[in-house]
Amino acid sequence: MRETGTVIIGMGNRLLSDDGVGIAVAAAVAERLKQYMNLTVTELHIGGIRLMEAMAGFKRAVVVDAMLSGAPPGTVRRFDPKDFVTTKNTFSSHDTDFATAYDLGRMAGVPLPEQVSFWGIEAREFDLFGERFTDEVAAAVPGAVNLIVAQITEWEGAA
Amino acid sequence: MARITIDPITRLEGHGRIDIFLNDQGMVENTFFQIPELRGFEQFCVGRMAEEMPVITNRICGVCPEAHHLAATKALDAVFGAEPTGAAKKLRELLYMAFFVTDHTTHFYALGGPDFIVGPDAPPAERNILGVARKVGLEVAGEVIACRKRNHEIITFLGGKSIHPVAGVPGGWSRAITSVERTQIEDIARRNIEFAIFSLSIFERIVLKNPLYLDLVTSDVYLHRTYSMGTVDAGNRANFYDGMIRVVDPEGAEFIKYNPSEYREHIAERVEAWTYLKYPYLKKVGWKGLTDGIGSGIYTATPLSRLNVSEGMATSLANAEYQRMYETFGCKKITAARYEPIHHRLATHWARLIELLYSSERMLELALDPEITSPETRNIPDPARFVGEGVGSVEAPRGTLTHHYVTDERGVLTKVNMIVGTTNNYAPISMSIKRAAEKLITGNAPDESILNRVEMAFRLYDPCLSCATHFLPGKMPLTVSIRDSQGGLLREMRRKG
Repeated sequence: MRETGTVIIGMGNRLLSDDGVGIAVAAAVAERLKQYMNLTVTELHIGGIRLMEAMAGFKRAVVVDAMLSGAPPGTVRRFDPKDFVTTKNTFSSHDTDFATAYDLGRMAGVPLPEQVSFWGIEAREFDLFGERFTDEVAAAVPGAVNLIVAQITEWEGAA
Repeated sequence: MARITIDPITRLEGHGRIDIFLNDQGMVENTFFQIPELRGFEQFCVGRMAEEMPVITNRICGVCPEAHHLAATKALDAVFGAEPTGAAKKLRELLYMAFFVTDHTTHFYALGGPDFIVGPDAPPAERNILGVARKVGLEVAGEVIACRKRNHEIITFLGGKSIHPVAGVPGGWSRAITSVERTQIEDIARRNIEFAIFSLSIFERIVLKNPLYLDLVTSDVYLHRTYSMGTVDAGNRANFYDGMIRVVDPEGAEFIKYNPSEYREHIAERVEAWTYLKYPYLKKVGWKGLTDGIGSGIYTATPLSRLNVSEGMATSLANAEYQRMYETFGCKKITAARYEPIHHRLATHWARLIELLYSSERMLELALDPEITSPETRNIPDPARFVGEGVGSVEAPRGTLTHHYVTDERGVLTKVNMIVGTTNNYAPISMSIKRAAEKLITGNAPDESILNRVEMAFRLYDPCLSCATHFLPGKMPLTVSIRDSQGGLLREMRRKG
């Protein structure tokens, strides 16, 4: 099987305030780019093996998640693949972390992307049920979308 | 009193950690497994239409959306007074069996199994699913992924959506299956049975045939003689989708059997100052603190407890494995089909594999049932039968799951209550952690052993913290600090994420 296209995976829970920011950003990025390229958008609530499976069959993958790094809420950061595990939902307490899941996929012959990037948006409220972002996080969404659009466009240009 | 803290959430002070308190003699006084809660769930739900619950609650937890979806849908059947059709019940159970197969498979190979297959004292970097594959054979990695994939496909088309099912409606199921799909499900169920047998053979070969590991499983490290809870069918055999709740006492005598809608008559919740989470206990026995025995109302709701309450398994291959497990533990038969309960908590891993086989066999039975392709998948609710209150209950992989809704006459929610699988086991988890701490903390055990034995204690329950709680950012770093009775730091152990 040959891997094609790009998948953008929004992680988190839309019902838990800022935890859903990755999902909103992923959807907005896809909205901007889908007419120009082969782009699939997916929502995922749990990391580990599920996250690896969500990338299967794609050439490139972008993961957007809330993070709890101690930075000011709304801070946007791009992670190196070796820092995968530092965003909030990319780990699954019920199986494993993403890096192990990725190696498992390779071992099992799952077609996985050559390029993966991780984006984190610092959350403020993440354990309160609600469908609204806090002000800082809501304000960070357009900037995060621009950064990720630029990154995907750069990948596509280099391809 | 000294305090030892194992804090897996480094950046969330005061949330989700294990506290081990030592007395002045340096002995373990008590341990508490503190986990945070998600706030505002009831407020979030109240004022919404009850029909939204199956698609709201399936987002509470990323691990078992299927369990919440079905418990919510069953609660709606009761709220609307709409009994589902036979085909609807079978379709729901079929989806649920596919879910159990993926969930139990993942737990065994990725989380629970590594302790035994790679070894309880192996370095953490090897004690994972990759280590399992290296020990058992690399092809097992492909088998696990393939098992997940084929069952996720069934869940997606039966549930109407990947990951968060949407097909449950009061009185039924919104999607019938074609005969082509039925054939595909039958084929997948057969492959699941083979895979479950293979998994049990690995357990036999690597764990049961190794005296060291067998000793660990049958040792009293995590032995707690509590009551056992599980859902049973009309023949008192385990069923995960529907039935009566049966509780047996530590000796195995039936203590109570009740309809899930009567849960409040039988289960009370103990509130303690140090944690948000409540400890459920058997009302008629009473709360005696974190202690086991027939006089303590603490009960367990896990794969092992489900087998403890069951008069054998309802499918033949799983029943043979069930008998083998109890006989290995030397349990005497107390009824024609049931044995004395097993209280060795590490046997939960074995019980989970027996449930994996049962779920696979049950899936095949349902796929072969002529009614499964019936287009009659729903009874439309009749307004004259509207009730306005309902309880829905299923056995989630991690324990009995109960949803309880009350609505006004328009079907708008006025009250929501849930007891999730892990919550049932909050007290037993705390006791197992205490036992591990007692055996190890005061000795000269190496850091890694302490960290892992404490982790093993909660890993066997596979606590689903994302249900009642918000879960861990990043990997799970652990810090254990041992302090003297003056609070001075004696020793600190850290496992980085």
